[in-house]
Order: sequence, then structure tokens, then C-alpha cells
Amino acid sequence: MKRKLIVFLVLAIALSTMAFAGGQQEAKSTEKGTTTISYAIWDRNQAPGMQAMIDRFEELNPDIKVSLEVSNWGEYWTKLEAATMGDVMPDVFWMHASRIRMYADNDKLMPVGDRVKTDPNMDYSNYPEGVVKIYEIDGVNYAIPKDFDTIGLCYNKKMFDVAGISYPDETWDWNKFLEAAKLLTDESKGVYGFAANASDQLGYYNFIYQNGGYVINAAKTKSGFDLPESIEAIQFYHDLIHKHHVSPTIEQMSDTKPGTMFASRKVAMYFVGSWLISGLAKNEVTREMADMAVLPRMVKSASIYNGLGNSIAASTEHPEEAWKFVKFLGTEEGNLIQGRSGAAIPAFKGTQEPWISCRTEFNVKVFVDMIDYGVPYPTSKTAPRWSSLQKETMIQILSGNVEVEEGCKKIAAEMNKLLVTE
Amino acid sequence: MGTAIKEQACIPKKMRIKIKRADISKWGWAYLMVAPTMIGLFILNIWPIIQTIYFSFCSSGDFGKYEWMGTDNYARMAADVTLWQSTSNTFLFTILSVPLGVCLSLLAAQLLNTSIKGKTIYRTIYFLPIVSAPAAIAMVWKWLYNCDFGLINYILSFFGIDGPGWNTDPGYAMISIAVVAIWSSIGYNMIILLAGLQNIPKTYYEAAEIDGANPFRKYFSITLPLLSPTLFFVIIISVMGALKQFDLVYMMTGFKNPVITQTRTLVHYFYTQAFDISDKGYGSTIIVFLFIIIMFVTWLQFKGQRKWVHYN
Amino acid sequence: MNFQTMNIDKMKEENINKILVHIVLIIGAATMLIPFIWMILTSLKSFHEATSVPLTIFPKTLKFENYSSVMEALPFMYLYFNTLIMIAARIVCALVFSSMAGYAFARIKFPGSKILFSLVLVQMMVPSQIFLIPQYLIVLKLGWLDSIPALVVPGFVSAFGTFLLMQFFKALPAELEEAGVIEGCSQWQIYGRIMLPLAKSSLIALGIFTALFAWKELMWPLIVNMSLNKLTLAAGLACLVGQYEDITDFSVLMAGAFIAIWPMLLIFVIFQKKFVEGIALTGTKG
Repeated sequence: MKRKLIVFLVLAIALSTMAFAGGQQEAKSTEKGTTTISYAIWDRNQAPGMQAMIDRFEELNPDIKVSLEVSNWGEYWTKLEAATMGDVMPDVFWMHASRIRMYADNDKLMPVGDRVKTDPNMDYSNYPEGVVKIYEIDGVNYAIPKDFDTIGLCYNKKMFDVAGISYPDETWDWNKFLEAAKLLTDESKGVYGFAANASDQLGYYNFIYQNGGYVINAAKTKSGFDLPESIEAIQFYHDLIHKHHVSPTIEQMSDTKPGTMFASRKVAMYFVGSWLISGLAKNEVTREMADMAVLPRMVKSASIYNGLGNSIAASTEHPEEAWKFVKFLGTEEGNLIQGRSGAAIPAFKGTQEPWISCRTEFNVKVFVDMIDYGVPYPTSKTAPRWSSLQKETMIQILSGNVEVEEGCKKIAAEMNKLLVTE
Repeated sequence: MGTAIKEQACIPKKMRIKIKRADISKWGWAYLMVAPTMIGLFILNIWPIIQTIYFSFCSSGDFGKYEWMGTDNYARMAADVTLWQSTSNTFLFTILSVPLGVCLSLLAAQLLNTSIKGKTIYRTIYFLPIVSAPAAIAMVWKWLYNCDFGLINYILSFFGIDGPGWNTDPGYAMISIAVVAIWSSIGYNMIILLAGLQNIPKTYYEAAEIDGANPFRKYFSITLPLLSPTLFFVIIISVMGALKQFDLVYMMTGFKNPVITQTRTLVHYFYTQAFDISDKGYGSTIIVFLFIIIMFVTWLQFKGQRKWVHYN
Repeated sequence: MNFQTMNIDKMKEENINKILVHIVLIIGAATMLIPFIWMILTSLKSFHEATSVPLTIFPKTLKFENYSSVMEALPFMYLYFNTLIMIAARIVCALVFSSMAGYAFARIKFPGSKILFSLVLVQMMVPSQIFLIPQYLIVLKLGWLDSIPALVVPGFVSAFGTFLLMQFFKALPAELEEAGVIEGCSQWQIYGRIMLPLAKSSLIALGIFTALFAWKELMWPLIVNMSLNKLTLAAGLACLVGQYEDITDFSVLMAGAFIAIWPMLLIFVIFQKKFVEGIALTGTKG
């Protein structure tokens, strides 16, 4: 009995130390002659498309294996940041406009632009200039564009038919839009013309630029939230809820999201991002009733666009293999595979056709067309900080707790305070 | 408490010396036995806590670059309206959820400790929430609370009541979250209390019956005192859990909801600072602050236990 | 007044009491059950029906497709398996390590025990979110990311278990170990031979609580594991919500929620007597 217990104790302690000493040898055992690189992404809907690209790449390069690591958006950045601190970043990973500066400024990314310059097969002019520019920091480029997304107006055809209004098109300006929204609203039934989402990209940013304002100036030194044009745009957006009553309140929309309201026929129009279309195609109601149009214009046409990039870790142990992979992802062939998967609009010019044709449910061509007057998603080095403050204040403005002008000026002041530190 | 120590004091002097000699081997065993727990605890928990305390005196840059800045974060805390709002929300949540939760658990345990039929069925039903995943619970309740398609307001409409936005009305949002917290913790507390009740020897009651004590007296002079250690355990754990509340707010309120000012707890505020805004330094300060609160409240409870908790 | 009538009066009174108890218990039970029933009912409605006003209580036509579409979205077999393994491993760790430590803290007076035990209490007072990043880095350095062992790491030691078992061991009468000391047993033998068998019911209780805590863990699996088939049920469910970020299809979500929780509910219903009896036995002399 005594011996048994001692053996048990020894085992228990051994187990405890093993748990911490163990696994280390295990790290990345690779087959002979092949190198494994990791590719981290944050969108599960896009995982099949990415895997298809990987499969083709591995076919072309039998000596390189790529392991795909998928997370949710929130965890992705927590993990990437922790991995960067621990100096164990994935080899290749998606980059986003809001984070590029932080990673580039700390030299965590490989300056792939230098390689593009010397590579005869690569050329940045193959991609939308705006997306390329997102990842160009102080003249150095840190990513190859992967895709782009724009914002469009999604509307319920049935509700338009019933109200006897013609479908939205490129002739629509804010006045026409408001007029239609009023006709579509029946507040007693809880039905509204539009959902004024408390979202920057899917909401008020578009209005700010359409009205000739801006969120941040080109030099990234000053906030544009206190410009008269911006305040006017936010006022208009605010009035959709509180003056014209053509939109549910922010409170209602936090209970039932704008997309859900739209699908449950409580809202006739809302702004949708091109990456959300697969969800609309999946839902039994929206599949039948929804269609897409370009955003209404005011002083000018504008749609916030953004594009992801594929970046390589500066600390990667396999720079050549990683570069080969990223290069493939940026080729016409890679982009065509991506487009066929239907999840995102491929960045390579002229490869958007397969994406448009695999979404037959809706008129998705408008999303590709809007890139012509698209405005890149405004960002700067301290964007994670100021955008969080900005969102919070915007929610207070849109829910009517804070005056529009006062709130906008507060946002501008807070942004300027942070922008000085950049 | 401390029965072992008391017992030792009663042992005659001669024996005590003997025990002392045996102490060395005793200590050896003790250290061996706590070793796995303490080593694991140190690596997984204590070291991170020490780091957090250190970071609370630092400003944080990108990627774990910390710069010592003394008590600046603490000074900032004093002027941070959101922090004080979160603190009062946290206390409000604790006050809303713990007393009522514990009372209902006690009531359920008490009723199930009687000789009625169908106890097993009741017991099973009351436990169901605790074996459900929190994401599932939050999902269902959000759906029940929904002001357009929710069951609760639908039922209220039969009584001519136009129900509020349970999850979106500043006056109700915290209550709604507390209701879910109570609903999902009753079963858990009930198990422990029921065990405590069943451990009370029947002889005490028999004796009281002979004395002609009424049920009311029986309850306050036998049940409650004998249950008090268990009750104390339940309260300590519930209060700690309530002060650390995060999951429900995170899943039920969400970030775009304006009522977040009414429901944001300290841990939720820490989460936004540390993970959203990536200000780990200030985030750490918030946690240290919360930690001090919890320590103080727990200390108060341990101090107060002498007045009402009876160990035999 | 004769003996019989008194008895009948008493019986009447008892019956009324019992009915009252039942009424209270039934109200409570209904409150507990309604969310689950609503979950099941919603999971069988079409999106159109679930979001129609006025509401329908029972689905007009049963839409079982919600279940097949959620099964497509999540690899439930993997999720069940991972959850089970994670829970089992955490229970073993908690039982073995906490019972040893709990015993030592409760019954052996040794230098530093107070300080060490206060560290255990400190862990319980700190919100677990602050451990996320440090523990993530440990797992990452071990090369365990995206694996089943990674799921177990935070449950390697259980401060709660140590606390619980310490409370239990402390309540045991001192005579027990005196007998052992007189027989010349070492502390280890007292623990293994005398105390541990007595603690069986507490160990069962701790096992159940460990399982419940592990089952409810949400953030950690999402942070350490990337692949859907390396996640746990709770985390998988959270991913499902993320897949419906624009249009929340409550019917599908409810179907997912129900698939995720029914095995645990079933296990509980089958074994609930064992569970409760096990717990009820805890420290017969509380």
C-alpha cells in the first residue's frame, strides 16, 4: 500500500513537471525536405477559399506545406499581439488597415515592397491603388493586397414594390433616399425605411465623406470630426432616427441587429459590406427579397472601402518560402481561385468576374463598381485607441444622450490628442 | 476552524516533544503534497498577478513595451468617470444578484429537504441551467428579452403591459442581467446548501420537538446556525463571482449597446482597456483596484463570520 | 380531544403544507424550464416564423433543416470529444493535486502554510481574464497551440478545489489522525489510507464542479485553439454566433445551442441521483 502511494505521488509530480517540460521537443516536426509555414486568418467564412489557394500552392510547390490557422476577429489580434511579444509570430498572416501602422512602426513585418520591386512577375499596379496605399508606411510597403470590400445599399424589393417606389440607383442622393425612407416607414407597425447602424464603416463614415467631410486628414495629423461638413453629415444621420423617425433607435438595433431587422422585414434598407453578402444569400428571407445598389450621394459619391493584405513576419525563419506563398496568393491565378470561393472580392485587377458570377442572387456588381470613387477606411497609428473612444461617443450621440455638435467636437479633441503622439 | 491546532494544545507536554521531533518528516510530506499545486499556481497564476501589479505602475507601448511611470495610472483612475460608473455597476450587480440568489437557493434547498413526492424531478429541473453552456444561456435569454420577438413581452402583452426593452432600457438592463445570473446559479448554490441541510443530524430536531419548539424557532435556532458554515461558503463564492462578473455583460449587452454605461462592470472595463484599446498598463490598474475591492469585501466577510457562523 | 382527531388534524395541515410546497416548487420549475422549452420551439421554426409578429408559440411546420445546417457549420462530434477529454483531464488534475494540497493545508501545521494558502485564496479573488495572455504565452512556448492539451492548461491546478477540500478535511475529527499517528503512519499514509477514503463524497463534488467550470470556459479555448475541430462545445457555440454577425438566425442558433447542451443535460439527468447523493454525503459532520 505504502509503495503504491509513493508511486502515485511520484507520478503526480512527474506529470506536473512533464506538463511544462514536455512538448518542447515536439515543436514543428517537419517531414524531411519539406518546410511548413503557418498562415493565420480571422474569417471562418473565408477558410474554404483560403484552403483552396493553399492546395493549389502546395501542388505547385511540393516542398512547402502551409498550415491554416483560423480565429475570430477579436481573438486574432489578441493572439497576434501576444505572439509578437513572444517572438513567435505566424509566418504569413492577414493584415488590416487599423493595425498596419502599429506592426510596421515596430519593424514586425517584412518590407515585401522591396521584393516586389525586384521581382519581374510582381507589380503593385495590378491592385487597386487605394488598397496598396493602406499598407504603404513612409514609402515602404508591408503587404500584398488580398481583397477589397466596399459598402453598398441593400434593399427589400418587395417592400419597395408594395410602396410603389422605384428601386434605388446611382441617381439617388440623400434627399431622394430620405423621401423613400419616409414612404417605407410605418412606425405604428414598427416598420422603418432605413437602419442607421451605429457602425463607422457600415454607417456614418460613408455619410461624412459623401458630404465632403473627412474623418482624418491625409497627413494623419488632424481629425475632421469637427468640420462643418462632418457635423452636418452626423446630424443628418442622427435625424434619420430622432427627427424623421425613419430608422429604429440605437437601442432597438442593439437588441435586434440591423441585418436581422432587415431580414425580419422591419427595415427596408440598410448598408451592407461586401463581405456580408454570403450571409444574405444563406438566409431564406433575404435570398428572395434583397438586392443591392450603390450608396446614395450628396456633395459627391463615396463608399468606404478597405482591403486586407497578406503580410510576412519580419522574424520568420522561412522568408523565402513565405515570400513564395504570399507571391502566389497575389497572382492572378491565386485571386481567381479566391474569387470563385465567393467569400471576398479578389484584389487583382480583372479577376472580379468569377466573384460577381458566383453571386447570382443579387446585383453584386455594384460593389466592384464603387471602388472607382471609394474612400479608404480612415486609420492611423493610434487608430485602435481613438476609434474605440469615437465609437463610444457616437453611440451616445446617436442614442440622443449627447448633442451632435458637442459630441463631434469631443471626438475631434480626443482624436487630436492621440494624433499628436504619433 | 483550527481544530487540529486546538487538539494539539490538549496533548500532555511529554507527547508534544515527540510530535515536534516528528515535525521535520511531517513538514517534508506537507511540502511534497502542496508542491504540484503551488508550482502550478505560481507559474499559471501568481506570476501573472505579480506582473499585473507591476504593469499597473507602467505606461504600455506596443508589444509589451512597458515604461515605469509611478502612480500616474492611479491618479488617472481617480478622475475617470467611466471607472467609477463601472465600480458602482459592479456593486449594483452584486447587490441585485447575490442576496436574492442565495435566498432563493436556500428556499429551494429547504423545500427539497422536506418529504414530498417528485423531489428528484424538481431537483433535476433546478439543476438544468448549471449544466448548460453560458453561450447557450445568453443566447436564449437575449432571445427571450428581445423587444420585437421576445416571449416575455409577448406574454406581458396579454395583460395589456407594453414591456420595456429588457436588454436596452437603461432602467432594466442591469436587472435583466442579474435575473439571468440568479437563474443560472440557483441550482449550483442549491446543491451545496442541500448537502449542508442533509448533514444536520435529525436528533437535534427530535430534541427540539420534545421541547415543543415551533417550526419558526427550530429554523432559527437549529437549521440556520448549523447551516451557517455552508451558507458562508456559498456567500463568499457568490460575492467573489459577482464582483468578477464579465461573461454575461459581454454576451448580453455587447459593445454597440448604449446601455453599456449602465451594465459595464469593472472586469468588462478592464477587458476593453486591455484588449480593445490595448492599454495594458491602465487595464492592469483597473484589475489591481478590483482586486483590492474583492480582498476588502472578503476580509469584511471573514471578520463578520464570527458573529453568525458556527463551527462545531 | 382524542388521539385520532389530533392526528387527522395534523395530517390535514401537513397536506396543505405539502400542496403549498408543490406550488412554489412548480412555479420555480417552470421558470427554470421555460427558456429551454423556448429554445427547442424556436429551433424548429423557420427564420420567417421566428421573426413574425404576432409570435407563434408552436412552430407551424417543423423545420428540422435548422439542425442539419448547424451540424454543417460546426463539427459537433469533435466538439463533444474535445470537451469530454478536457473535462476528464481537468478532473484528474484537480482531484489529485487539490486533495493532496487540501489535506496538507488542513491537517499539517508546517511553516509557511498560511502564506501559501493565502496565495490560493488570492488566485480565487482575481478575475481569470488577466491570466489569458500569460497562459497563452506558456502554451505557445510549449508548442501546444491548437491542441487538446492546451485546453487543459488553466485547469492544471484548482485553487477552488484546494479551498473546498481544505474546508472538508478541516471538519474531520482529530481522533482519526491521532489513531494513525499512534500506529506510526506517516502523513502520506494518513492521507492515503484514512483521509482520502473519507473524502470520497467531497471528491465527487469537486469532480462535478470542475466539470462544470471547465464546461463553461469560453475565452480560453478561443484564444489557444484555432481549428474548429480543436474547440470545445461552449467555444464552438460562440463561433457559431460569430458566423451570423450580420443577420442573426435565432432558429439556427437555438438548434446549435440545443445540440451543444443536450448530452450534458442527459448525462446529468441519468446520473443526477449519484451526483446529488455524492454531494449530500460531503463531510457527514459539516
